[in-house]
Amino acid sequence: MTPALEELQKQLKQLPGIGYRSAERLALHLLVERPERLPGLVAALHEAARSVRRCGRCGNLAEAELCPICADAKRATGQVCVVENVPDLAALERSSAFRGRYHVLHGKLSPIHGVGPDQLNLATLLERVATGEARELILALSNDVEGEATCHYLLECLPKSGVKVMRIGFGLPSGGGVLYADPTTLKSALDGRRDYS
Amino acid sequence: MRFRQISLQNFRNLALVSAEMAGRRHFLTGANGQGKTNFLEAAGLVTALRSFRGADPRTMIAFGQPQADAAFVLEHEQLGESRLTLTLTPKGKAVAWEQTNVARLADVIGKFPTVVLSSNDNQFLRGAPSVRRRWFDLTLAAMDPEYLAALQSYHRALAERNSLLKTHGSPAELAAFEREMAGPAAILVAKRQAGAAELDGFFLAAHARLVPEGETAGLAYVPDEVIASAEQMFASLAQARSRDHLLKTTEHGPHRDDLELGLNGRPAKQYASEGQQRCLVIALRLAQSAYFKAKSGVTPVLLCDDVLGELDPVRRARFWASLDGEPQVIATGTSPPERDGSEWQVFRVAAGAITAGTKSA
Ligand SMILES: [Zn+2]
Repeated sequence: MTPALEELQKQLKQLPGIGYRSAERLALHLLVERPERLPGLVAALHEAARSVRRCGRCGNLAEAELCPICADAKRATGQVCVVENVPDLAALERSSAFRGRYHVLHGKLSPIHGVGPDQLNLATLLERVATGEARELILALSNDVEGEATCHYLLECLPKSGVKVMRIGFGLPSGGGVLYADPTTLKSALDGRRDYS
Repeated sequence: MRFRQISLQNFRNLALVSAEMAGRRHFLTGANGQGKTNFLEAAGLVTALRSFRGADPRTMIAFGQPQADAAFVLEHEQLGESRLTLTLTPKGKAVAWEQTNVARLADVIGKFPTVVLSSNDNQFLRGAPSVRRRWFDLTLAAMDPEYLAALQSYHRALAERNSLLKTHGSPAELAAFEREMAGPAAILVAKRQAGAAELDGFFLAAHARLVPEGETAGLAYVPDEVIASAEQMFASLAQARSRDHLLKTTEHGPHRDDLELGLNGRPAKQYASEGQQRCLVIALRLAQSAYFKAKSGVTPVLLCDDVLGELDPVRRARFWASLDGEPQVIATGTSPPERDGSEWQVFRVAAGAITAGTKSA
């Protein structure tokens, strides 16, 4: 073991789903088995770290001021699907069930975990409603206690008129978010959305 | 239901146990502290996947070992021969049913009913309400997934609200979590009312068979607040906010409910003698067994921890006579009870090892 290998392993181990053994395997793969892969990986990491940021409108990943979805005029339908995080957005996109825009909260209210309204991407959502860009919100947060509480909270913050609020309902696995639902389930959950205000 | 085989590895002090259970009467004998109760605790896991002693899963793993394993072969009235294995690790528990991993633990809860009669039960009447509430919750949740879901949601939302009370969360945040408490609270109170009424009937009957001397036992649900609807609970929580802020916790709600046992119309906690209390608690467990049987059609296994030896021969004879549907009984004690008409399969327990002994009449 050299200090540089140890540091690489330590960094890899902090990634989700990577345990001690996988970290060791990955590090040795890159340094010993296939060192020719290393420069490409380093360059990709460097480029991603430099260019990927949050979309200034919806919170999705972007490489410009706006993400590709916000930049696409065809998706300006007035419908905005509110999700907890980027993987949820990705799952909905893969299902092709939704053709409007998104808003990523980057979490849900959970005082136990120190997440309050200030930790969520809420202010820009209220702006989008105020400017009229968002005329219908579809709340696609998970249906556990924290997801439901976040929906109640959102409703409190929104103006009483001028925006339609819907909640996707049935068919989502209890306690799970949209991430774990298959495309058919997601589509029927979206189609079966109900009035939430 | 009947256990046919119980195998344990690194479960508390039981390093490696494989017990073939023959018949329906099993007695584990040995000095105290050798592992008898640990064996019963392991058997009891099949019902709600948690310890009847209320122990953290981590404490059930033998010291210095990465995990504890328990494997059960059961005969079940509806499911036939069933194999259930449980793995406890510091991170949590995994359950396999017929070699397939169970993704939703709630799918297993209550399928394999056991009822525990313990000598520690004398704390049941005199102890804190949480002891009685825990028993009540476990009894109802084992037979009703909706109850279990409401209980989990309520406690989750309660913990979030309590956290907000400590960190001075805004009224809108409090209201958001209060809404999530209110619905489940109304479900819990309604289901506790109905459940207590049903259990009361079984309790009265079980007690009458155990103590036929004109004593009448009763069981009553004592809600902290009578909640008729989610709206009422929501309003009550909003009203309690300023006081709860000072206390930094939620003072009122179903998490403060209690259960009261009565004898001849008076609270047993104050008015029943030691011996009467012991019979009341045994009758309560037999009522639990009857409730499980009525709800699921499955006869629960009785796990008797150091209880039968405490009964005098007359009461013990009545205990056997009062059992319904020939349940399997796994009992512990320092010596098998003599001359009570049961033939026991005897296991000797010493220093974490269990060996099958001879049958005793
Ligand atoms: Zn965007």
